[in-house]
Amino acid sequence: MPYLGGEETVRELKRALSNPNVQAEPLRYRNTVLRVVRAMSQGVNVSGLFSEMVKACATVDVVQKKLVYMFLCSYASLNPELSLLVINTLRKDCQDPNPMVRSLALRNMSNLRLPSLVEYVEQPLTAGLRDRAACVRRVAVLGWAKLYNLQPGSDIDAAVVNELYSLLRDPDPVVMVNCLRALDEILKEEGGVVINKPITHHLLNRMKECDVWGQCEVLRVLQRYRPQSDDELFDILSLLDASLVSPHPPVMAATLSLFLSLCADLPAVSLAALERVSGPLLAACGSGSREMRFTALCHIQLLMRSVPGLMGPHFKRFFCGYAEPAYIKQRKMQIMVELVNDENVSMLLDELKGYCTDVNTDTAQAAIQAIGHIGRSYSDRCLEILTGLLGLKQDHITSAVVQTLRDLVWVCPQCSDTVCSALEGCEETLQDSQGRQALLWLLGVYGDGVSSAPYTLEAFIDGVKSEVSLGVKMELLTATMRLFLTRPAETQDMLGRLLHYCIEEETDMCVRDLGLLYYHLLKCGIEETRNVLQGRRSDPSLGVLIGRPAQPISQWACSFNTLEPLKKGGTVTQTASRGSPEHEASKPKTAVELPETLDCSTISPIPLFWKCWRLKLSVV
Amino acid sequence: MSASAIFVLDLKGKVLICRNYKGDVDMAEIDHFIPLLMQQEEEGMICPVITRGTVHFMWIKHSNLYLVATTNKNSNASLVYSFLYKLVEVFTEYFKELEEESIQDNFVVVYELLDELMDFGFPQTTDSKILQEYITQEGTKLEVTKTKVPTTVTNAVSWRSEGIKYKKNEVFIDVIESINVLVNANGSVMSSDIVGSIKLKTMLSGMPELRLGLNDRVLFSLTGRDKGKTVMMEDVKFHQCVRLSRFDSDRTISFIPPDGESELMSYRINTHVKPLIWIESVIEKFSHSRVEIMVKAKGQFKKQSVANNVEIRVPVPSDADSPKFKTSTGSAKYVPEKDLVLWTIKSFPGGKEFLMRAHFGLPSVEKDELEVFFLMSIDFFVRYMKIIEKSGYQALPWVRYITQSGDYQLRTNA
Repeated sequence: MPYLGGEETVRELKRALSNPNVQAEPLRYRNTVLRVVRAMSQGVNVSGLFSEMVKACATVDVVQKKLVYMFLCSYASLNPELSLLVINTLRKDCQDPNPMVRSLALRNMSNLRLPSLVEYVEQPLTAGLRDRAACVRRVAVLGWAKLYNLQPGSDIDAAVVNELYSLLRDPDPVVMVNCLRALDEILKEEGGVVINKPITHHLLNRMKECDVWGQCEVLRVLQRYRPQSDDELFDILSLLDASLVSPHPPVMAATLSLFLSLCADLPAVSLAALERVSGPLLAACGSGSREMRFTALCHIQLLMRSVPGLMGPHFKRFFCGYAEPAYIKQRKMQIMVELVNDENVSMLLDELKGYCTDVNTDTAQAAIQAIGHIGRSYSDRCLEILTGLLGLKQDHITSAVVQTLRDLVWVCPQCSDTVCSALEGCEETLQDSQGRQALLWLLGVYGDGVSSAPYTLEAFIDGVKSEVSLGVKMELLTATMRLFLTRPAETQDMLGRLLHYCIEEETDMCVRDLGLLYYHLLKCGIEETRNVLQGRRSDPSLGVLIGRPAQPISQWACSFNTLEPLKKGGTVTQTASRGSPEHEASKPKTAVELPETLDCSTISPIPLFWKCWRLKLSVV
Repeated sequence: MSASAIFVLDLKGKVLICRNYKGDVDMAEIDHFIPLLMQQEEEGMICPVITRGTVHFMWIKHSNLYLVATTNKNSNASLVYSFLYKLVEVFTEYFKELEEESIQDNFVVVYELLDELMDFGFPQTTDSKILQEYITQEGTKLEVTKTKVPTTVTNAVSWRSEGIKYKKNEVFIDVIESINVLVNANGSVMSSDIVGSIKLKTMLSGMPELRLGLNDRVLFSLTGRDKGKTVMMEDVKFHQCVRLSRFDSDRTISFIPPDGESELMSYRINTHVKPLIWIESVIEKFSHSRVEIMVKAKGQFKKQSVANNVEIRVPVPSDADSPKFKTSTGSAKYVPEKDLVLWTIKSFPGGKEFLMRAHFGLPSVEKDELEVFFLMSIDFFVRYMKIIEKSGYQALPWVRYITQSGDYQLRTNA
């Protein structure tokens, strides 16, 4: 069919639809309807054909019916009055001897999403609940959920709720599961479907008949049940044991979630359950689909918050493959960092070293930072690797290494000598502002150990006019001030030039204010300046990597098997807006009650041990 | 679960087909998906979940399509991804190839499928065998569907319809194992596992009852009894038709097979396998920016076996030029668009050793990982297949064993 302009097409279709000759021939009529739907899915606005399509609905042709219903559901909200005309046909179809037609009509009736039509839909839905064909009952059950979703807050018909509860005993497993879903939706305000002992036992017995989706639904709903006795609890647990090691990752995860909620008061049992799922979870990490692998990795990270050593013996499973996407590699590296111990440290470091030259710069930088984290516990080996990487003279690698060294020195002051000797010559390869800021910080704080520090700073000061990054300028000011305190003779002249530039010529207020502040500070005398500028050089308390206390399971159990773990700690590279290490302030982690809707702004995207970096003036 | 809507997009982000299941997320939100994805791609931080405000996009990519589910709930991620992959599986079964063109050609069927697969954001019927009964497909089938009620709707065996007839009754059993290996630059195996599956193609009449006998090695490892000698099979999955209670009690795999093609079981063996094809490589840099890569491949399997269609891929830098090759067998060629040298060997007998030399100009060789792809047959474990049907017809079982490479990577030093 040649593609005509939108309006042209609509006009032509309209003519064809109302042509009695076309209507008389079923095949031609259907083809015309097909063209309408095709135009609709191509984005042509065909809402003008609504009344013609309503007429086309009265047909014995199932295919045509399906097409017309599809059209009507898309445009019903634009034509509420005309939609009323369809109701009659739909209601007639609900009496059709063919269950397929009945379920089709019922489904589309509830999909129209028109509050004004609710009164006409209720009766067929009630009848649908008692239909002898399972496929009609499935649709009718969910139809009620749709109806209540359409008018939230409307009165709940107790008879319907009772009917739905009784349908939990329907022979068809999908009807049963749909009932759970529908009741959950209808009784949302009251906390969802009520799960008592008989229902629990019934659901557990029927679970085998359900497909994967149904099993997950049942397991999710059962989380609300609180067993009355320990005996009952353990009976349930042993019934569920098989699905705990289910090969379907969603079922396994749902079962674990249920285990954790049932055993909230029995930490030993919960821990045993975690041990048991580690196998299937690892298997999911090798799944064919990248997304499933990613999900499994994120959930392993959750588990490791409570049992840090859980995956210890399997650390090789987290080695990255060549073709894996960056998001998987970065998660795997985060896990590898957590798994490090005396036996595997050299293997893990060898592996991570290999990733430092990855073609993806983010992966490479993440690997370098991962080595830096391990450096907090095994500083000598890591420093050797990191300084070796500087020899490659690649700007993104050097930048990441210098930043990592800065972070490392902050927590392990004993590394400073090695770091100082490695810094010489780095400035030539550094391109990005983050890396240069890190270098400047190091030169300021450890300038006495780097013989070429004044010359490096001088080069920066000479180029300050063409410098665009605000962060670099601020860091340069502070670094020059600090170096002045330790090596006054070499630095005095350039400090004067820099302050002059910042106060007289600089247009950015932040830089100018900082310049003025330092100028006045110097006027107050050298001792005063020293007090302000030479604060702490390190904070070893931040650096614990091994032996971090395990968190209680309850901290994360509620977010297990949801979307939330996938959003947390997205990347190791939290390079955006990061200042010097001393700007770091610890932010208490509040255990947020998990909302039904996931609002990402409440979740800090920062790995645990990193706390929070804030950009502010440290000295003010 | 609760996905609000499902979209199928082309690579440019144009919506090919969509279905709004819940109506609680604005359908226009999808217009933000591709720009956000592009932005992430630029920053190198692509992630399978994209969030904008309260809307989450969970997406997978299949050939030249994006399949996207939107939701505003904190829904179960693994379930949504499973469903998206299920969509791909079902569509592929219908159209052979799932791609932009097949979606456009079959949009009516796609709409119908989307209608049956999910309702109000909850997966409904996802078994493709059953779906086929609901879907009207082409107009020619119309007259049949009008009168015929799908048998599976009320049937006890949901995966097989009654009254199937074949002139010649046959079953084909394919045992396919793929090997994933990651080998370090210094030659030690970092990780290795085997992923296997048994595929059936059933062409049998009536409601046959099949019994599959596996050899003891497999049985023991399945049950984990004889731990010392055998390797544990992890992650064993059976098709829903296998009677698990029967398997638990007397270790026979008995089932009523679905008609046509299906996967009966799949498993994974996580063991230290000796790499079937061993690769050594030497990269020599000569002064005048010339590089020679020498790759030696050795078949470490039985002399009687032959690996077919072996492909060895050597990644080279994108600035390599003027390639020259010398091989002792097979043929090598440079594939510039993928930046690799492809060495293909049609048949690779066990115990043999082959060599390839490649010369390049001007490259800056760094660390590489070689990938190997091959196909060969091995001896394996099906002992018998019994077919029992009421009418007692004669049926022929055919068994074939294939081992192929999965993710087979060997690292080299620069």
